[in-house]
Amino acid sequence: MNPAPVRAYVGVWIALLALLALTAGSAFVNLGAWNSVANLVIAAAKALLVAAFFMHLRRHASALVRVFAAAALFTLALLFALSGADYATRHIAPVPWSEPASATQSSSR
Amino acid sequence: MSAVHPIAEQFETREQQREADSLGTWVFLATEIMFFGPLLLAYLYGRTHYGEGFAIASGHTHVGLGTLNTALLLTSSLTMALAVRSSWIGGRRAVTLLLAATAALGIAFLVVKGIEYRKEWEEALVPPFRFVFSGEHARAVEVFYWLYFLTTGLHALHLTIGVALVAWLALRARRGEFGPHYHAPVEMTGLYWHFVDIVWIFLYPLIYLLERWR
Repeated sequence: MNPAPVRAYVGVWIALLALLALTAGSAFVNLGAWNSVANLVIAAAKALLVAAFFMHLRRHASALVRVFAAAALFTLALLFALSGADYATRHIAPVPWSEPASATQSSSR
Repeated sequence: MSAVHPIAEQFETREQQREADSLGTWVFLATEIMFFGPLLLAYLYGRTHYGEGFAIASGHTHVGLGTLNTALLLTSSLTMALAVRSSWIGGRRAVTLLLAATAALGIAFLVVKGIEYRKEWEEALVPPFRFVFSGEHARAVEVFYWLYFLTTGLHALHLTIGVALVAWLALRARRGEFGPHYHAPVEMTGLYWHFVDIVWIFLYPLIYLLERWR
């Protein structure tokens, strides 16, 4: 092993805290739909930093290990895409929020 | 224990053994992603269909404590990564201290999370045991807090396991078990620790930061 210097790790940590400050700060400004976009993009950037540097995917992992890590994300994307397509194209009736039928109605069936 | 650690007989070299260790751990983490994934999908469904209720619910979470916890966990990932680095080059004292710091930061996170849970109990935001909320969006708020306790609870369980593993590794490191010849337990536990950190990195904005500008 030929590890990166300590200051490289500390640099990644400072970047992570800066991104945390950015996501927390931006949440208090009204950006409309861009609030959610900013939050998710920043979360993805933080996750990427942790995976690449702290989990050593960048310098100390073989191509095979990287492919396995990517396959995990791909499987999650499949879950979201296929289930999401179903929910996104289905009409929701407001019934689930309503109270169940009363006892007198059910007895008179 | 500081004698040269033998490689398992099915491997030709130390590098090959590390490759198998890493690959196995990443496969485990892939299954863990599928463990948390459906909860995130449920959240996405709620956020897209009952957005207003979710935004109101998020406004009742404790964003200061959540942000503090995120910083604690990101810092614990730094100490964990440095512990792995030290185990590669053989700093026995450094590995021990860094692992102990990692476990301490994990415990600090759990304490803050406990304080939050107590506040939510007092505010009656804990379905199904103690939940009182009125208004048009009360049911959506309840769904949000169901998901809140399921996701953060599952995360806290993972972190508790992580703290126990790291504390045990710190004791082993103090005995000088880890060094350039043998560091797989530190490295693989590190991967798990960082994974738990990444789960929180995504939970943090989803739980605490919805329409905070209101």
